[in-house]
Amino acid sequence: MISIRSLRVVYKPQGIEALREITLELPVNNVTCIIGPNASGKTTLLKAIAGMLSYEGAIYIDGREVRSNIRYLRKILSYAGNMGSSVDYLGARVIDILLTSRYPVAKGFSDTEEDVEEVHRVSKALGIEHLLYRKISELSSGELQKVVLASALVKNPRILLLDEPDTHLDVAGKSWLSKYLEELSRSLTIVISTHDAVFACHTCNYFVVLSSGRVLYSGWREELIQNKEYVERAYGISFINVEVNGRPILVPLYES
Amino acid sequence: MLRALYSSIAGAVLAITGCILQSSFRNPLVDHHILGIGSGALFFTYVTVLIYGYNPSMVTLIAALGGLTSLALTVLIAEKISGSDIAYVLAGISVTSLFSGLATFTMYYVQVKYPYASVLMTGSFILSREEQLPYTLIPLALVSIGYPLLSKRLNTLMLGDENATQLGVNPRLTRLLSAVIAGLSSSIIVSLFGLIGFIGLISPHIARFLVKTSDNRLVIPVSASIGMTLLYATDLFSRTVMAPMWGEVPAGSIVSLFGAPFFIALLISRFMGRRT
Repeated sequence: MISIRSLRVVYKPQGIEALREITLELPVNNVTCIIGPNASGKTTLLKAIAGMLSYEGAIYIDGREVRSNIRYLRKILSYAGNMGSSVDYLGARVIDILLTSRYPVAKGFSDTEEDVEEVHRVSKALGIEHLLYRKISELSSGELQKVVLASALVKNPRILLLDEPDTHLDVAGKSWLSKYLEELSRSLTIVISTHDAVFACHTCNYFVVLSSGRVLYSGWREELIQNKEYVERAYGISFINVEVNGRPILVPLYES
Repeated sequence: MLRALYSSIAGAVLAITGCILQSSFRNPLVDHHILGIGSGALFFTYVTVLIYGYNPSMVTLIAALGGLTSLALTVLIAEKISGSDIAYVLAGISVTSLFSGLATFTMYYVQVKYPYASVLMTGSFILSREEQLPYTLIPLALVSIGYPLLSKRLNTLMLGDENATQLGVNPRLTRLLSAVIAGLSSSIIVSLFGLIGFIGLISPHIARFLVKTSDNRLVIPVSASIGMTLLYATDLFSRTVMAPMWGEVPAGSIVSLFGAPFFIALLISRFMGRRT
């Protein structure tokens, strides 16, 4: 469903090559995880798929090239990254943010009943209904993380791109998110990036390992765990394979 | 009465431009006055009068361009410093000092040709004349077009440029359009009635406080009615209560009297880390 052909991304003023020779097929109705060390190009790859930056090569979603179908994509694809701490919300409440996030699918000037219903449905599912009328600036970072996820879901997308959705969440939050994304992936194609190998192994079926802007490895979870040397090479540290509830999990070994 | 109409329109227009500027620059500390649009428009008004005499259409046109020029200058300096909200205030203050210095300087020469020039320095409706009506309606028309066009786009801009792009809004284009609409309309108001600070700054804050949302679809009209009421009431107070006692005080200076402390409080609350 998402196919990427010889993708190359260069950040203009400095000419830094963030991604090169990326050719990938990402599976439908699955959670795909992009892992790799800092500055390996995870966020850039997600943004390229979301049509948020210019690139060479091609990205096809449902057989349509991203750049030439951007209007259509805005309706069916959501990207949620960092909300940015420097952003001033001018006293915006959670509900303002969520209603605004329906911009590509909302019709007309005023909010329709459907807009409001969607916002309530999503916030109920994420357990943030009690926060709807709170100001964004009053939220904890964990609560804000859920609002960011909700803002990506309110337009009812078919493709969900999440840049490090598990940061700021505590262990219970991560466990909840893992289960929730798995549930969503029955009807949604999800691509996330994360730094947490344990969270990734619990949540994702398909993996892309990035290192210095190139794909080191891509494949299903079981294959990746068989070939964990790719992950070790990307990060430069060792991982061990641990079985939890019958599911193999990669755990990083800290240098001692 | 003409004065009532003009002060109401000016109040509404300045309040709306305040909303537009605050949301598009994502900065609660700005309005047309702080960003230097006011003093730029004033200086160019004086220059036009100096060259062409008081020719209303010429004054309107050149003041509007002057206001945009000073706004562009502020944005350039602010982005050069750091682009933060405080940088915008500092850049705005320097541009304002530049143009108000130039304006004060030229005013002495302008007064020979146009004796009421000094009135524009503080912002007053004493000189309301019927022939100003069409020029007062231009800014009103501009912000009336801007409201339906920009409200929802400005809401997405508040989420950050990246999120706005993701939602299909071009943040740079929206900001440019907002700056042009707000810059033109506030400059024209300044060229007609002079420098009226703080109405554009405080009305959106009061509106957001009252309706408890940041949604521009609601904040803009509420803010417009607040600006309208404030400026009308100030002008009314000036001509009915103060005029017989010690002569008329320009509305602009009364507004600054309560606007300035508000601005100081806003600055302090931001430095204390509280978000308004």
